Amino acid sequence: MASNRKNAKFDIFTKIALIFVIAIIILLVLLPLANIFKFAMDPGGRVIFTDLPKSLVDQEIVKNTLKLGLTVGTLGTLLGFFLAYTQTRIEFKGKRILHVINLIPIISPPFALATAVIVLFGRSGLITRDLLGLRPTLYGYPGLVIVLTLSFFPVAYMNLLGMMKSLDPALDEAGSILGANRWKIFKSITVPLLIPGIAGSFLLLFIESIADLANPLIIGGGYTVLASRAYISINGDYNIPGAAGYSLLLLIPALLVFLIQRFWSQRNSVISVTGKPTGRINPIKSGPIKYLLLTITWFVSILIAVVYLTVIMGSFASIIGVNNALTLEHFRYVLSGFGGDSVKTTVILALIATPIAGMVGMLIAWLVIRRVKQGSQILDFLGMLGIAVPGTVIGIGYAITYNDAVRIAGYTIIPQLSGGGAILGGAIVIVMVYVIRSSPAGQRSGIASLQQIDPSIDEASASLGASGFRTFRLVTLPLIRGAFLTGLMYAFAHAMTTLSPIIFLVTADTPIMTQKILAEADQGRYGNSFAFCVILIVIVLTVMGLINLAVRGRKTTSYKPLAMVQ
Amino acid sequence: MKAKTGRLKLTNLTKEFGNGSDRVIAVNNLNLTIEPGEFVTLLGPSGCGKTTALRMVAGFENPTKGSVQLDGVDLGSLSPDKRPMGMVFQSYALFPHMSVYENISYGLKVQKMSKTKIREAVGELLDSMSLEHLANRAPNQISGGQQQRVALARAMVVRPKVLLFDEPLSNLDAKLRAQMRIEIRSIQRKMGITSIFVTHDQDEAMSLSDRIVVMRNAVVEQVGTPDEIYRKPNSVFVADFIGRSNFIKVESVKAGKVGTAKIVVVGKELEVAAHEKAIASSEPVLLLRPESVQVYAAKKASSTGVGQGKVKNVIFYGPHVEYTLTTNQGEITAVVSDPTFEEIVHIGEMAEFTFSPERAWLLPSDAEHNQEIH
Repeated sequence: MASNRKNAKFDIFTKIALIFVIAIIILLVLLPLANIFKFAMDPGGRVIFTDLPKSLVDQEIVKNTLKLGLTVGTLGTLLGFFLAYTQTRIEFKGKRILHVINLIPIISPPFALATAVIVLFGRSGLITRDLLGLRPTLYGYPGLVIVLTLSFFPVAYMNLLGMMKSLDPALDEAGSILGANRWKIFKSITVPLLIPGIAGSFLLLFIESIADLANPLIIGGGYTVLASRAYISINGDYNIPGAAGYSLLLLIPALLVFLIQRFWSQRNSVISVTGKPTGRINPIKSGPIKYLLLTITWFVSILIAVVYLTVIMGSFASIIGVNNALTLEHFRYVLSGFGGDSVKTTVILALIATPIAGMVGMLIAWLVIRRVKQGSQILDFLGMLGIAVPGTVIGIGYAITYNDAVRIAGYTIIPQLSGGGAILGGAIVIVMVYVIRSSPAGQRSGIASLQQIDPSIDEASASLGASGFRTFRLVTLPLIRGAFLTGLMYAFAHAMTTLSPIIFLVTADTPIMTQKILAEADQGRYGNSFAFCVILIVIVLTVMGLINLAVRGRKTTSYKPLAMVQ
Repeated sequence: MKAKTGRLKLTNLTKEFGNGSDRVIAVNNLNLTIEPGEFVTLLGPSGCGKTTALRMVAGFENPTKGSVQLDGVDLGSLSPDKRPMGMVFQSYALFPHMSVYENISYGLKVQKMSKTKIREAVGELLDSMSLEHLANRAPNQISGGQQQRVALARAMVVRPKVLLFDEPLSNLDAKLRAQMRIEIRSIQRKMGITSIFVTHDQDEAMSLSDRIVVMRNAVVEQVGTPDEIYRKPNSVFVADFIGRSNFIKVESVKAGKVGTAKIVVVGKELEVAAHEKAIASSEPVLLLRPESVQVYAAKKASSTGVGQGKVKNVIFYGPHVEYTLTTNQGEITAVVSDPTFEEIVHIGEMAEFTFSPERAWLLPSDAEHNQEIH
């Protein structure tokens, strides 16, 4: 009996869950990544690395990618910080509305923003040309920075808002009773405590912006980044090893930053989220600081509101800015024929993927926090790969892996899943992409929520004789229902709006909305593109609302003493 | 009464955490047999390994070495849900999404008991613990003491052979804590369930237990009934940890009658009860509990006192007075019961102190005691 096991003996449910999760991770991430490596090591892929020291074009692309990541990371984090600070520390009217407006970019397809920004601020923009008489060129670096910052800052905003809310106001009070003024408190207490959140947000935005493909395609112009270069390799040069090479080049900084971000956030978790915050935040009442912050906040929120109003108006106008006559033509076009098919297919596939992604995310979270001791960090990391690996890389990896049957020693293990002639018209890979791209959101919220729950609650259930599965079903799952719900909503929104991996996997049999939106915008048919975006946003909001209703409507059974039963 | 089941035997129970230089021994060779229906407390400062020991009994931690036997059957690495034990947690760990009734009925539901039987069993318990009116409340809608009772009811309703308590009273206020002690003890006696109770609070241990296991640095220091632990501690550590103590240097030691020693303190020869290892010890110390020390003003009678000291501090509590005396033997604390107004000695005055030898206890020095363990 002299064993020194690291992991307590797993019950059967834990074992099954672990095997299931690992199988998912292997099929949905590791195998496609392995194939990227394999192809990148082909002569056609290797040349990108070996030629990098001399190829000025490729060096420029790498530099462009990093520059974009750094700028958007910095600006987006700053913006998120100011807006979150305003939300928590200033009393003003319209707070809730501004909060909701700030979140719109999360649930909308990113190129809705890009297209609308072109219509508003481009060379022939409604505001730039018609109102101000300016003719700026948005295509390229400046346009990308504006669009990506507006698209991604909500991530930093949410992140920092959560942290600022959990800061115990007693800390501020302690600072001020010790004689510190507001600026001193801000400098010496608030900011240091938020540094993990600030750094984490910066790194997340960095990853998101270097991984983005849709915006560089729409508004990038001549400013090529690694993601768009890899796309061109596949769709222009028909050079798969080349695409794999660029993918690998993009994967390296993305994973590196992701690892730094994880390391950083674990090392610096100084914020105590235990106990209830006591005291009350003392809001900033007067002074230029208040007005400066309010100006920034209102400016950003109005900008977002205008952009999305443009999307809505553009979908009903004949040609927005040119002929503003109201029409339903765009919706008619979008909802009939190919367009209509894409709406239906996308919604069905996203609805299939959402619960799977939610469950996978929760299972991983539960395994990481409650079951697996040795190696839980690795499992957590593997689960996050779906989002850490840029979508472009995932898409190319899938295309390489599943365009043919997967064989081991000559036996077909998995039939052809993507490309023309795949089973179910390539719908399976789309669901797979949706699952692996969406489950990390559930995993994170699941982990955060499980960490708040006293482990002895699980132990209490076990000590009362409940098996691992019963405990998970009766105790764990109901307790993380909120996180599960959030996970589901994000999963659905994410699936509906994802483009970069999908673009490599759509077939004529499985048209996907985001890809259609891109195609319409590419052709300059902004009206159709806007109509698609409006439909997409409406669907996402509707399903989010329904999920909310469905998961909330549960009650506990009530008890009546025996005497009252008869 | 029920058949006598629930004999728990821990043999060489050991738990190590970490590897190499990070290795920490949390529990080292714990041997203990608990009789059916007995109430045993694991008592010790934080980090002494008491909770780890309890968690090994429950099955939440796998022992590195050693075994846990229940009624002669080795529980091995049986998972917690397969062990016939109930546990009350420090945080209560009530399921926040279930009502009080659902919480208590959970264990029976897991056993697939019929709904009517569950209602009966839970109803009876709710009634006997005066919780009936709270049945439909959520855990966050009831007070701490009520939560505590629900946690106890939830653990007991499944009729476990062993009840485990992990510092369950530490979140309650002093008055409620005293009340819950009585409640826990009376219910445990009534149901005759073998119980292990982990605490760092000596009052709790003294008032609840049949036997107390005092732990320190992963090792058992002493096992005994509360009066043994208090009156005849094994070591300076135990004496110091349980209750308050004066340790007085002994000038010389000789063996006396069985269980006693002839000693010289403050130049006076006395015969006192002694620990078996005290006589051989190079530096034995005399333990005097404060309430065993008498104090009176020095001027009255000087011949009867053991020694003299200056009153450094006096605290008047009403029923008793607490003195701190500065003496040649160091500071001595004395608690004198029911003094008259005239008897109280004041700060700065000289006082006489004395004690009756049968209330003193001679101990070996701690260094030697520890050497013998390792």
